[in-house]
Amino acid sequence: MGDEQELTAREKWAIQCMDRQLVVLDDLAGRAADPRAWLALERQANSFARHLGTWLAHERIFPAARPRMAQHQADLAAYAARAQREVAAVDPDELEAARRSLGIRLAVIGKGGAGKTVTSSTLARLLARQGRKVFACDLDVNPGLAISLGLPPTEAGLPDEALEEHAGSLYGWQLSGAFTPIQAVERFAAVAPDGVRFLGMGKIGTIDKMAAKKSVAALVHMLLGIGEPDWDVIADLEAGPTTPFERYHAFSEDVVVVVGPAWRSAMTARRLLPMVEDRRLTLVSNRFRDEPDHPGLAATIRIPFDPDLAEAERQGLSPIDACPDSPAVAAISRLAALFTNQEVPV
Amino acid sequence: MKIAVCGKGGSGKSTISGALARHLARQGHKVVALDCDPNPNLGISLGVPRESVEDMKPILNALLDAGHTHKDPKIEAEVLLGRYGIDAPEGIRLVATGKIERPSSACLCCGSHNTTRQFFGELPADDRVVLADLEAGLNDLIWAKPGPDDVVLAVTEGSAKSVEIARRACRLAEELGVTRIIGIANRTVSDVDAKRVAEELGVETFVVPEDRAVEDADHLGVAAMDADPSSPAMVAVGELAKLVTR
Repeated sequence: MGDEQELTAREKWAIQCMDRQLVVLDDLAGRAADPRAWLALERQANSFARHLGTWLAHERIFPAARPRMAQHQADLAAYAARAQREVAAVDPDELEAARRSLGIRLAVIGKGGAGKTVTSSTLARLLARQGRKVFACDLDVNPGLAISLGLPPTEAGLPDEALEEHAGSLYGWQLSGAFTPIQAVERFAAVAPDGVRFLGMGKIGTIDKMAAKKSVAALVHMLLGIGEPDWDVIADLEAGPTTPFERYHAFSEDVVVVVGPAWRSAMTARRLLPMVEDRRLTLVSNRFRDEPDHPGLAATIRIPFDPDLAEAERQGLSPIDACPDSPAVAAISRLAALFTNQEVPV
Repeated sequence: MKIAVCGKGGSGKSTISGALARHLARQGHKVVALDCDPNPNLGISLGVPRESVEDMKPILNALLDAGHTHKDPKIEAEVLLGRYGIDAPEGIRLVATGKIERPSSACLCCGSHNTTRQFFGELPADDRVVLADLEAGLNDLIWAKPGPDDVVLAVTEGSAKSVEIARRACRLAEELGVTRIIGIANRTVSDVDAKRVAEELGVETFVVPEDRAVEDADHLGVAAMDADPSSPAMVAVGELAKLVTR
């Protein structure tokens, strides 16, 4: 007990985060019959370890929690090792099927106006139409993803009952301990067309920025802690480098960088590439006409310039509702195929 | 006078800011251009060569490189402008507040916001125009904190999302006590569109037409004012320059 009194609020918060991570990992480790759970466990342990690594790299933060952080690092390695052993024992065909149906962890970044939201929303809807469970999260305080998903611009945020105060958390708020991240999604996320579940940062636009501040730590924590093997998680990040810099994409395995035709959009994309770090990078060239790719930015998927899409944007409609047969939506369906390990249609 | 330009990413803030600065300079005003985007690129629209824009060292990065910390006494904005600003065409002085280069390298983001506040708040603007091209979204408007004597331009293109953010920017500027708020209906294709935007924003709204010349210049990474100053959008911004300084 004496030791506990020495801890600062920040350190207590860090320890609580690690405790909550173990709950997620134990849940996955308890589903021995499902090979996807082992794949998910390995991924989740690695994801938490990467996040922990950013804490460990800063020598000055959480000094009194250091012994626990070292222990946590060892715990995470043990979970990953155990998952790897279990994965190695799974029948190869069964394992391949499990890999194909494992949910994606995707962050979408790029310059403002590049097409992040059109890409993430259409991708979310397409994945949901394949019968997948999809959680789409808007990490931009400006509304956008809700509209493009086909929801009214209500900007569904986390209600107060989903949150709790913690002096050590960012802006003093975090996800309530009553819910695991996936429970919070299932309970509080708005239901968009095709069953996509959506959460954003609530309202901003007045001088009181508290609504967004209250939910941001909870959302980032939720993204990082959704272990569920069968859920796809897609986050649409705020324009530019600020939120990647804050590592809001810490949860991701895949990062899509969207680049538009303007030279400055390409310059932004080049500046964003270091932020992708060790994640798999997919470059999407949007509003593509016939020009060559920007130097150093070879596109994997090209979304053609599409007047129907521009019209949908003008009217504030979801592209997949307004122009389902457009070349732009077809291009994003190739992106969906790429992420779900299917044959990519030409 | 001080002008803060805000709007959604991709709405054309930098294109409008760059062209407006050039026109103001041509009309005889001394202009200081502040690039407050942590992804600085205003130089392009001002006509600064692309390489110089890529290499430009924003204030916060320069200070960090020189070993400064936030605990050091603040250096006056005018001194920083002289030290870290660069010359853009037509006598414009350009300075960027901060650039984010890699994840968590330092606390750059709130730092550059503080620099935005310091510069927009402190730089004397009695005999010159201080024009700030703000970061996408609304947050930076709160940081820049324009007041009753300042002008806010809320830039939007035709998409519903862009209009909504400009609308909120107008309301926010009103809350801050700004009296001259001008909506910019950028890349407007029809009178119907212009009317719709004006109604949504609920403020005096100025129309800048859709212009292929601007799009082509953007694609090449050159200033639209250098590519074709007689194009319809650039001519419109010339009129805007007269309107804001009236």
